[in-house]
Amino acid sequence: MDGDPELVGGLVGRCIDAATASAESVERWRRQRRTLDRLPSYLADALLRRIIQRRILLYPSWLEIFQNSAEEIDLKGESSVDVEWLAYLGAFHHLRRLNLANCRAVNNSAIWYLSGMSNLKELDLSRCSKITDAGIKHVLAIQNLEKLHVSETGLTSNGVVLLSSLQNLNLLDLGGISITDEALCSLQVLTNLEYLDLWGSKISNRGVAVLEMFPKLSFLNIAWTEVTELPYLPSIMCLNISNCTICSIFYGKGSTSARLLKLFGIGTTFVDADKVFSIMDTSHVTYLDVSSSSICNLHFLVKMDMIEHLDVSFCGINDDSVEYIAKAGKGLKFLNASNSKLTSQGIRVLAGNAINLETLYLSNTSVDDVALSYIALMPSLRIVDLSRTKIKGFAYESRDNLEKTFSLSLLQNLSHLESLNLEDTLVEDEALLPLVFLKQLRCLYLKSDLLSDVSLHILSPLSSLTYLGFRNAVLSNSGLLLFVPPKALHTLDLRGCWLLTENVFSSFCKLHPRIELRHELDGMVPIDENVSGGSTSSHRTYLTSEVRSEGSDGCFVDERIKYSMEELLGLQLSSLSTPALHGLNMLPKELKRSKMSNHISFLNNLRLLLCIKKQVHTEELLEVQFSPGSTLPLHDLNKLPKELKRKVEEALAGFGTKAAGPEVRPLRRLANGVGYHVSSIFMDGADLTAALPILLPQRPQTQVNSPSLINPTFAHLVRY
Amino acid sequence: METGEENTRKEETVKLISAEGFEFVIDKKAAMVSQTIRNMLTSPGGFAETQHGQVTFPEISTPILEKICQYFYWSLEYSSGKETEFHIEPEITLELMMAANYLHT
Repeated sequence: MDGDPELVGGLVGRCIDAATASAESVERWRRQRRTLDRLPSYLADALLRRIIQRRILLYPSWLEIFQNSAEEIDLKGESSVDVEWLAYLGAFHHLRRLNLANCRAVNNSAIWYLSGMSNLKELDLSRCSKITDAGIKHVLAIQNLEKLHVSETGLTSNGVVLLSSLQNLNLLDLGGISITDEALCSLQVLTNLEYLDLWGSKISNRGVAVLEMFPKLSFLNIAWTEVTELPYLPSIMCLNISNCTICSIFYGKGSTSARLLKLFGIGTTFVDADKVFSIMDTSHVTYLDVSSSSICNLHFLVKMDMIEHLDVSFCGINDDSVEYIAKAGKGLKFLNASNSKLTSQGIRVLAGNAINLETLYLSNTSVDDVALSYIALMPSLRIVDLSRTKIKGFAYESRDNLEKTFSLSLLQNLSHLESLNLEDTLVEDEALLPLVFLKQLRCLYLKSDLLSDVSLHILSPLSSLTYLGFRNAVLSNSGLLLFVPPKALHTLDLRGCWLLTENVFSSFCKLHPRIELRHELDGMVPIDENVSGGSTSSHRTYLTSEVRSEGSDGCFVDERIKYSMEELLGLQLSSLSTPALHGLNMLPKELKRSKMSNHISFLNNLRLLLCIKKQVHTEELLEVQFSPGSTLPLHDLNKLPKELKRKVEEALAGFGTKAAGPEVRPLRRLANGVGYHVSSIFMDGADLTAALPILLPQRPQTQVNSPSLINPTFAHLVRY
Repeated sequence: METGEENTRKEETVKLISAEGFEFVIDKKAAMVSQTIRNMLTSPGGFAETQHGQVTFPEISTPILEKICQYFYWSLEYSSGKETEFHIEPEITLELMMAANYLHT
């Protein structure tokens, strides 16, 4: 119902919003009427749901007004729900679904009121730990009950045995209750069961034999149990054996063919994987998750012709296994091979075969820029995760030819690409330029201290972008304020951008009220980490928390501790006082890595004259900055540390600047060579500002705002 | 396509009549914000409403229908990029919600 378009936009949605704006507004319409009888039940449900979500339901007596119209109530996680609430809910005779999961105050006497709710079909009491065997008796009176969740309650085997009288049950969730083989045995009268969850129970190989008595059973979860062998259960479509030690599944085949579609084996130890999979009929399996399991080769994939979803992350598979994935290939839509030993060579094998792949996770593998050319051959890709890989974003054409090609431009072939994760890669500012052509891109995750204001500005033309993660970047206040956000952007994640100061957030929010900012210094940062799903496999919190803890780094390492007060002040002032130069991203970089930190004192009112990103193998950033009023900056070379001076001279010699004078040709070459970092150039005393028009398209701000200027710039970048 | 041409050809209006018999004459374009009215006015079978350009709502009271009409115009402005709030008094939210639900608005 949440997805009901009428309730989201439109006047109905606005009415619900207005009706539930505050406790006072509820009180104002509630006073006028005793019941909501004319209200269609789905509207009543939506209204009540919103009141609960907004936590403005002050008194349980307010529930009364809904009692003749509500059919579904979800009170999940409401700690205030207690006996009094249940007393009102007991009068809801039309109620079909009631979710009390995680309502900590609900106890045995509270659920006494449930016993009269004869229309109730679905009841969720999960994690109501105060409910025990004594309380479950009240539930037994609801004979129509079809779905019952009692996982992680205070129930024991004795209470579970009682549930056998609920003959209409088709779903029974007993997760986390330490039930025994005997208790499971007593449930065999529940022949309508389709869904049975027994995770964390004490059942053993002896107990699971009973499962053959459930002819309709299609979902079975025996994760975290002692079970090592499972009999042949022809009706099972979805099986969860996570964290078990498995010797064999479905031994002793019957005559009917298995219908197994989904198999979860997260963290499972397979005693002999090849044997396990050879016994099973896996020909219909479409979904296989064996992440973190003991599997290290993928021979068994040979028989899985129907596979669509494959998760082999944290398994340590290598390039040899890719062959089997490739063979299973055509139907494959989802592949998670993150945290494996895969390299670009493996992706090469994949490229020609898995042509329908839509989602590809390669986080924390050894793939590099070479892989991008293969990834570009999978035209259906929508989500690509390349975080924590060796992607640099550029490559040299050949060993002898040192001209760069910007490898991310290959992604332009992926016309469906919606989400791209490049967190913690070696991609630098200029390498991001090709991304502006990914017009369908909706989510982009970047996290690197190699990125600066320039990168952010490059991304402005991405018109479909709704989520932009720009974390740990060297972003200045002025850089943020001059950023023209893409039209559709609603979330900008700037966590870890240590240069930003508090006041910039309010200014930014004033300029762009629709955008939600995230930063450690911004009080509005929600704790909700859902959206940062850029890091892979966020759904698997319970398994690999230690591995992913860095993904959701709650603590903020203040990078400012690396610098002295004087240095910081210099930075702060320079980013505020020279906004025109903000795009020149070298300030913090040079702080971090070059030997120029002793020149920081004049950063403050620096006229940035020339910076060169020298194209050498070492990728070493070479940046030269000169103090104001110096008309002969080359003379100032003498002030530089010796090593740096040598490099600058080399670089300038390479561009033929020894010949001095505002010649257009060397300038253009310089501009091209430098990329886009040139704002003004003084050479040998000649002011070349007049020649700037040639260089202007190189300036990031100009690029950002006028697409027409991007193309020529981009053309040469690609060429290089 | 035909209906599209009709809309652009002449500025049409429709008459919406409340439970109390109060008549609201509004632009057809605005009334079309409601999916229900749109269906009535454009369905090929020819509701009586299509011919006379008037629709009676015996279930909707005058103040609510007035608010609905305001919403139609506000919605047109909103979709053309103008950003204003559409204020709804808490007292009428439920009545309005039911009417809006009926009108698929």
